[in-house]
Amino acid sequence: MWLVFVQIFPYAVTYTIPLLITALGGLFSERSGIVNIGLEGLMVIGMFTSALVIYTLEPVYPGTAVWFGLMAAVIAGSLFSLLHAFACITLNANQVISGIAINMIAGALTTYLARNITGSGNILIVHSLSRKTIPVLSQIPLVGRLFFTQTYATTWVVLAILALSSFVLYKTVFGLRLRACGEHPHAADSAGINVYLIRYIGVMLSGALAGLGGAIVIVTYSGEFSGTASGLGFLALAALIFGQWKPAGILAATFFFGIASTVANVSQVIPALAVIPGIILKTSPYILTLFALVLSSKFSQVPKALGEPYDKGKR
Amino acid sequence: MFKKGLLFMLAFVLVASMAVGCTSRTNTGGNGDGKSEDSLKVGMVTDAGTIDDKSFNQGTWEGVVKAGNEFGLETRYLKPVGTTEAHYITEIGNLVDAGYKFIVCPGFKFETAIFQAQERYPDAKFVLIDGYPHAGDWAPVVAANTVSIFFAEHESGFLAGLATALELQEGEVGFIGGMEIPPVQKFNWGFQQGLLYASENFGTNVTVKAENVIYQGTFDNVAAGQQLAAQMYDKGVKAIFAAAGGVGVGSINEAKARAKDGDDVWIVGVDVDQYAEGIYEGNKSIILTSAMKQIDQAAYDMIKAEKEGVFPGGEILLFTAANDGIGIPKENPNLSADVMAKVAEAFNMIKNGTLVISDVQGDLIK
Repeated sequence: MWLVFVQIFPYAVTYTIPLLITALGGLFSERSGIVNIGLEGLMVIGMFTSALVIYTLEPVYPGTAVWFGLMAAVIAGSLFSLLHAFACITLNANQVISGIAINMIAGALTTYLARNITGSGNILIVHSLSRKTIPVLSQIPLVGRLFFTQTYATTWVVLAILALSSFVLYKTVFGLRLRACGEHPHAADSAGINVYLIRYIGVMLSGALAGLGGAIVIVTYSGEFSGTASGLGFLALAALIFGQWKPAGILAATFFFGIASTVANVSQVIPALAVIPGIILKTSPYILTLFALVLSSKFSQVPKALGEPYDKGKR
Repeated sequence: MFKKGLLFMLAFVLVASMAVGCTSRTNTGGNGDGKSEDSLKVGMVTDAGTIDDKSFNQGTWEGVVKAGNEFGLETRYLKPVGTTEAHYITEIGNLVDAGYKFIVCPGFKFETAIFQAQERYPDAKFVLIDGYPHAGDWAPVVAANTVSIFFAEHESGFLAGLATALELQEGEVGFIGGMEIPPVQKFNWGFQQGLLYASENFGTNVTVKAENVIYQGTFDNVAAGQQLAAQMYDKGVKAIFAAAGGVGVGSINEAKARAKDGDDVWIVGVDVDQYAEGIYEGNKSIILTSAMKQIDQAAYDMIKAEKEGVFPGGEILLFTAANDGIGIPKENPNLSADVMAKVAEAFNMIKNGTLVISDVQGDLIK
């Protein structure tokens, strides 16, 4: 069993990283008090932007086009999320409906643009990110084999962003203000915090990180934009709730999903796993999540003002 | 009050946007003035995946567009929001209502939908690729306004298997299929027969293990395609025959990543010549060869037949090596001239009947 684990670990990590960064984006939005079920659509925007930029630049800069693509996805994601922010924060719209709108518009708009710009709704990139084995660290017994062989540079970027986010959220003034806006925006306002501004920043961060998540899918395991994120955004949302809106919790939850999905995907080809019926493996992550949510609902750490538009006059 | 009105508005906008989202684009025939007198309009409903899947849907659509340009016909495709019978019938109905009386449906999964549509719309004509209409009981009912087209996937798979074995000479190979449905299974069985034929007649030692023959279960799980291919390559598999639509996209991507690192890994493409999709550097591609079906030709031929008034309604047509309906690409930069010659020889033997490929499982794997 251990051998099987080692065998699938690098690929599980590859699958986990986009989920992790997208869920982390959701955390910034939801901790500021704005529900963001538009993560799926924001990922699609990131996938499209990165694929298009890489497709355009790779004839000229084959090696570095990938990084331009990732950066462009971050920018496009944050700009696109402004739509959600404007509807929810400035216009006090229903946040769930706005999120659904984001999901619907993203898939249709990107496919339309892709067809008109490149002539095909699917954009294929030639140069994706290559995997590296880190020289010295990969020699460490156990850990080296698991964490430092066959890794993508984006994995380390995302883990760094996770650490940084954790620090920002709990150790800086901005983090305190962000959390205050999600818990009790009126109290935050009376302390002189601009609730609208903080929430705008929260939503834009979620757009930027979800866009990055989508782009990472393109440059690592998929290699082709096809107008959909196959439900990864919703899975990230589930991981956010499962992880109780905390960075460490999200890391654990997404990693759980990553391992479980990978095991389900590759079970057919690994004799040790093939004895378990595929349907059990494929549904287990979702069933376990349901149970976990039911059991933990009593202690749910949901931000108290989540989903409520901020109305200054209301008390 | 205001809120209620808003809700209605929203519901309306959502419904409207969905309707718009479903109807994709219209392609009016290329030769502007060439509007034909009887103004035949040709429609297509896509199967799982997109119109640009560089595979099944795209192949069919290219045939439709080619015929449309040549005969000055209006063409249009619709993409169902789901892949159930009800979704398919809805879009077929939409096409008929819009005056598209010649409808091409690529995919085994359209069988029961066409069974209903051929009776409901007797004045429309249907082309069903990879299946025959039935009521769910597998008893073929091909009405006079429907033609059903099958391909000899086993022959195509055989040629690809033979080419793979001859080029690699020794080593292990694998197979990743999409859903476990007849067209995909026949590719698999044919591929295995090709490997066996090569070892019996040319002394190659290319084998396939039972654990490396799998059906992923979908045509769109890219992540699974990548992970499955990675596992097989890690176990020492040198080439994978990926007959799996979007799942194959993930497998191709994994092979590209490994080839860039200098590994000796290959993918055998499916349906159309996938060489361009496997390019990882300059002109080098990880696509060894592709097991092709001339889907575009089939769609084109049927439209042409309709224009000439010889639509073979009620028939089940078979595209095989005998009528050049299947084969491997003419250009295979990754195959040597010797291999190409041997494959061409086998192709001719299948064509004149001296070599028969079985389209049933027998004692083959899965």
